[in-house]
Amino acid sequence: MSAIQEAMPATRGSRDAIVRRFAMTDAIFHGMTRAAAILVLVLLGGVAISLFAGSWQALSTFGFSFLTSESWNPVTEKFGALAPIYGTIVTSAIAILIAVPLGIGIAIFLTELCPRPLRRPIGMAVELLAGIPSIIYGIWGLFVLAPFLQTTVQPFIISVFHGIPGLNSLFAGPPYGIGLLTSSLILAIMVLPFITSITKDVFDTVPPVLKESAYGIGCTTWEVTRRVVIPYTRIGIMGGVMLGLGRALGETMAVTFVIGNAHRISTSLFAPATTISATIANEFTEAVGDLYTSSLVALGLILFLITFLILAIARYMLMRIDARTGA
Amino acid sequence: MSQMLSPDMTIAAEAAAKAKIEVKNLNFYYGQSKALKDITLSLPERSVTAFIGPSGCGKSTLLRVFNRIYELYPKQTAEGQVLLDGKNVLDRSQDLNLLRTKIGMVFQKPTPFPMSIYENIAFGVRLYEKISKSEMDGRVEQALKRAALWNEVKDKLNASGLSLSGGQQQRLCIARTVAVKPEVILLDEPASALDPLSTAKIEELIDELQADYTIVIVTHNMQQAARVSKQTAFMYLGELVEFDRTEKIFTSPREKRTQDYITGRFG
Repeated sequence: MSAIQEAMPATRGSRDAIVRRFAMTDAIFHGMTRAAAILVLVLLGGVAISLFAGSWQALSTFGFSFLTSESWNPVTEKFGALAPIYGTIVTSAIAILIAVPLGIGIAIFLTELCPRPLRRPIGMAVELLAGIPSIIYGIWGLFVLAPFLQTTVQPFIISVFHGIPGLNSLFAGPPYGIGLLTSSLILAIMVLPFITSITKDVFDTVPPVLKESAYGIGCTTWEVTRRVVIPYTRIGIMGGVMLGLGRALGETMAVTFVIGNAHRISTSLFAPATTISATIANEFTEAVGDLYTSSLVALGLILFLITFLILAIARYMLMRIDARTGA
Repeated sequence: MSQMLSPDMTIAAEAAAKAKIEVKNLNFYYGQSKALKDITLSLPERSVTAFIGPSGCGKSTLLRVFNRIYELYPKQTAEGQVLLDGKNVLDRSQDLNLLRTKIGMVFQKPTPFPMSIYENIAFGVRLYEKISKSEMDGRVEQALKRAALWNEVKDKLNASGLSLSGGQQQRLCIARTVAVKPEVILLDEPASALDPLSTAKIEELIDELQADYTIVIVTHNMQQAARVSKQTAFMYLGELVEFDRTEKIFTSPREKRTQDYITGRFG
């Protein structure tokens, strides 16, 4: 003890130097991390600004009718974004409609019912779906799924709903194979892993003792899931769905393969259509004329705003569930 | 009758006369490790039994065997017999959901379901009974009154169960358990997360409930065991060291280990 105290004055000077050096490296470290964080904001701002600037010509030429017009005519240079917006929203919505029940079902099975040895393999298989490049979904959709739908599923559905008002126009022929519904199916498969893994994670945040008390009053697994687990994690599930939706809205390559790339709005889900990202990918190389290019950029801006909004909502919802489980 | 018999005889006589739960040669394993060693005891009907002992002694484990809640987790196994009214609940053929409606459980931390106060109680009732809205209102009110919570929540039955204070939440959980009309109520350290005032309320409640229910309480608080229970079981390292009338355990225990524990010499 006394030996240490005696040694102190001797090292005092060098210790101060060390403290100063620490303070300096800390300041540098602080600055670097802050710069990295700011860089993200700068990039985001840069993307937004260049999208605005690029789309200015189209937006000022067509005004609000850019959003409401269905015509997309490169020859007469009349452009309207309604068909791609419609295609984007409808394909994504149907994809979510298919993927959400499936994803929640898988998550329930994995967290509540699955025998432990199978849990990891199935969980990993689902997550591997997320790792498949979208071009592979695209060619699989075009060469396998679309012909299958065209020759078997679509003719069957058309004949079943033939003559039923409403449904007959929703499922009207001819069976092209490619079109809105096929894209939706591909998108559903692509967003499934996102929804499943987030749902599974939020299901795991349910305190075991809460489930025990539900089982403790005689609930079956279905009742525990339906009345306790899902209500408890509702916000988190919504967040997962929103992230999946954001992914579906922006997906380009797979959709471009199977959507049919037709600039029109049709009541039939079997009809070829287009989405914002598919339009941009298909037409950018052949866009001659500034107005054409600017219209495509404007499409990009619209997509940017839609996905930004969706992701912001998703983040907000996830934040709220974090705050609650942390409390 | 009890005055005529010596204390040792009384408990044996009571147990033999109207045992609600009889545990016979129960062993329990978490994977390979043995958590309960050859437990045999008999819990009399309509009275409070306390399980005491240091952490990890197996008292909560024993409680969790009674309603087989341990089966939610893999690699937990029980051997031996737990007889509820003479019927072995560890039997494969025992319907788990039915068993758990007969044996209610309240946990250390309050666990209100993510729904309204009213629904927290109605939910469990609705699982096994089809009753009208007005009957349900009556059941909810009755259960909340039994749990001494009615006056505090009667004006906000539609508020979330999570909006209540910790002590109120715990009483809500007891009300929820009582509403299903169980025969046995298991309390796993029900007051350990609560302030003294809420604890007193819970203890009062336990005292009232024993007129109708067989109650088993696990507690770390020896004063609490002494206050609320008629019988006390002292457990240590997975063994049942001593089981007797509560006064006897706390005044003249038979075993030295019990003596040491209740006087605070270990544990």
